Amino acid sequence: MSEMKKIKNLKEFSTSADRFEGANLLCPGCAHSIIVREVLNATNDDLVLSASTGCLEVCTAVYPYTSWDASWIHIGFENGSTAVAGAEAMYNALKKKGRLKQPERNPKFISFAGDGASYDIGFQWISGCFERGHNIMHVVLDNEVYANTGGQRSSSTPIGGSNTTTPAGTHSYGEKQNKKDMMAIMAAHGGPYVAQVSPNKWKDMVKKIQHGFSVDGPVFINAASQCCTEWKFDPKDTMHLADLSTDTLAWPLYEIIDGKELNITYRPKNVIPVEEYLAAQGRFKHLFKDEYKYLIKEWQERVDSNWAYLNRREEARV
Amino acid sequence: MANTGWDEFEIGAMLRSFDGKIDDIAGTLQEDRAYSQNNSFVASVADWRIEKPVFNKDFCIDCQFCWIYCPDISIISRDKKMIGVDMDHCKGCGICVEVCPTNPKSLLMFPEHADEEAELAKWPEKDEEKK
Amino acid sequence: MAFDKMELRDIEVWDGNFAAAQALRQCQIDVVAAYPITPSTPIVEGYAKFLADNYVEGEFVMVESEHAAMSGCIGAAAAGGRVATATSSQGFALMCETLYQASGMRLPIVLNVVNRALAAPLNVNGDHSDMYLGRDSGWIQFDAYCPQDAYDLNFIAFKVAEDHEVRLPAMVHQDGFMTSHTAQGVHTLTDDQGYGFVGDFKPMNDMLDFEHPVTHGVQTEEDWHFEHKARQHNDLMTKVIPKIEQAFADFEKLSGRKYNLVEKYDVDDADVVVVCMGTSVETAREVAGEMRAKGIKAGVLGIRVIRPFPFMQIAEALKGVKAIATLDRSSPNGAAGMLFNEIAGCLFNTDTKALLSGYVYGLGGRDLTKAHLVDLYNELQANVDAGKVTTPLQQFIGVRGPKLSFL
Repeated sequence: MSEMKKIKNLKEFSTSADRFEGANLLCPGCAHSIIVREVLNATNDDLVLSASTGCLEVCTAVYPYTSWDASWIHIGFENGSTAVAGAEAMYNALKKKGRLKQPERNPKFISFAGDGASYDIGFQWISGCFERGHNIMHVVLDNEVYANTGGQRSSSTPIGGSNTTTPAGTHSYGEKQNKKDMMAIMAAHGGPYVAQVSPNKWKDMVKKIQHGFSVDGPVFINAASQCCTEWKFDPKDTMHLADLSTDTLAWPLYEIIDGKELNITYRPKNVIPVEEYLAAQGRFKHLFKDEYKYLIKEWQERVDSNWAYLNRREEARV
Repeated sequence: MANTGWDEFEIGAMLRSFDGKIDDIAGTLQEDRAYSQNNSFVASVADWRIEKPVFNKDFCIDCQFCWIYCPDISIISRDKKMIGVDMDHCKGCGICVEVCPTNPKSLLMFPEHADEEAELAKWPEKDEEKK
Repeated sequence: MAFDKMELRDIEVWDGNFAAAQALRQCQIDVVAAYPITPSTPIVEGYAKFLADNYVEGEFVMVESEHAAMSGCIGAAAAGGRVATATSSQGFALMCETLYQASGMRLPIVLNVVNRALAAPLNVNGDHSDMYLGRDSGWIQFDAYCPQDAYDLNFIAFKVAEDHEVRLPAMVHQDGFMTSHTAQGVHTLTDDQGYGFVGDFKPMNDMLDFEHPVTHGVQTEEDWHFEHKARQHNDLMTKVIPKIEQAFADFEKLSGRKYNLVEKYDVDDADVVVVCMGTSVETAREVAGEMRAKGIKAGVLGIRVIRPFPFMQIAEALKGVKAIATLDRSSPNGAAGMLFNEIAGCLFNTDTKALLSGYVYGLGGRDLTKAHLVDLYNELQANVDAGKVTTPLQQFIGVRGPKLSFL
């Protein structure tokens, strides 16, 4: 085990030499790359990375350019987790056989994927990787929509959002299904570490990523990735939206250790009504019409009930 | 590379991040790396910008909020100090300005064609209403 | 930890699956990622057991689908090591997306395909539907006719695929059950001979070389994609055949067993020739011998390497033949048949004016009997005698009901 990178404060963190490069093709204001930077900069160890098909992938390896300063692979939409698991298996094989070129290194195996590639099409592959116990980290860049293909709903899309395949209209308020609880599903796999993060809380993120690197076995990180293009807000406001998501508790920050022990890692001093989070995004604009205002109330009730549930889980230590 | 023929590429459409060997990437700052022609570091997205951030070091407290929240690796910080914006990679999203906590802000957005020296010369005063 | 070597008899009684598993053991595969499917499962079960008994030193990743099996193989191969797996039929179909990705990324994975029909209706027995499904995927495809071939061709597949001038994945095909589950005498190599033939894996563009980071699996749009596909096709068309021929020659030196791009049995002086693949080659050889005793100059041309297709070698092999039958063991579903079309293409611009007729047979494991082949050779001879094709160009053999023929 290599020594964990020491990151006491942001000044110290800012001495990191990024291994993700600019002039990628992500939208201005995209939270994906903020998350990727926080994850990669949490370690100085070598990296073996994958990306499943999605915004991150199509925007960072468009021939003849790569934005990655570490070995990186993309196969398809569904199998980024398994690509990295295969590489990890090869690492173990070559280590056993004494054939690693740089045997002193302690590489980290990380798979990045969107919510479509994690909650939907790649779900089986992730489940397989976690059940088998590969020493990998799967990071979901959860923007709650198929952003790369232009804004179709995924099973991560929250109720009431207007998306291209569940548009709001004269007879519809948009998405009808509740967001899939991937955290609970992944925790149920019994892996050593499952955590929810948001890029505005960089210190919480780095702590969790480093904890993820320190454990033996598969780690699941669910990162809120605020999408100005599909959520319809001004690109400059990405961090404002992130603050709203964590401070309204629409995106609570917590971790689950060994599939059981739940810890809430951020408690806002002033909890903001979820209405403010919804009001900041064009995708929820129609909810503020009189006939749909009951949905905002339901939103708040859902957020409250989920927060109460997380608190009870934390208290019960089960 | 634009005119390279089919027989001139690496097989498998493989790309290298660097020319030659690199020992310790995480320990090597951008200016010390031998980027390959295929690393997007050598490319520019400057023409995406409508507005650009201008940095006024007089008010900067080196909090590094702009560094951590920049999606485009365009805030250049060295030795814990913010020293400028990488204008080849900045897409002009404006996040750095939004997260800047100083009063007045140390980063402000201006039209892409604005003259930096002129804007620095007439930088806004401290906003007394803000704490 | 070192692994143990296994003492083999000069001739072992193995079925095709175990022969392939033994070859994987002797090649010392670093990573096998696999998913079970009849009839290929015993190959990876064999590897797992060798691992459990310390006869190999590697990683066996039992994944949750064939798609994940090939995905894991791609990740492992890109990381830099020797990788293999096995599948059949529906599993092969599920892998299809990743087959193109493996070859496009130029990763030298060896896939044992134990040929089986494709549903619907569901069927576990041997035909060539899965093999045909893979033929545009950019892989090298070898075809075994018996357990001995399945054993030998695995060594050859690794040798060719991993060559740095090739770097393309390879399939070794064998017929489901007829080869995979039929035990025959197999001449063995010692562990040292087998491993010595393939040699140590030589990494290239490997992700685990942290001093040379590499990006695999990029996006290329209209301004780059064509060149990369052209490069891959070029390498299949120009570089692979000489490497296979070299590997065949080297393997003959080692084992005394000689393989050829196309296997000619009594073809050189033949009037009538059956072109086929898999176990049918052996049946046809036997019948051809009997036809010769009856005065019909019969021969058999077996396709050993399906991709890259040995176009010139086939044209040369068939140049003196008067009537040819192509035997397709996969429903063409609205066309003349892969072998019919390929052989027609080989001969069309040559001086060979052979009469060409196609046959569809053996779907879902239906037996091809000697009686079928006797009738077939007689039809070919009748064509020769008449100076034209006297039958429809496409006939079904061995299917119940009214005679089925087209074209």
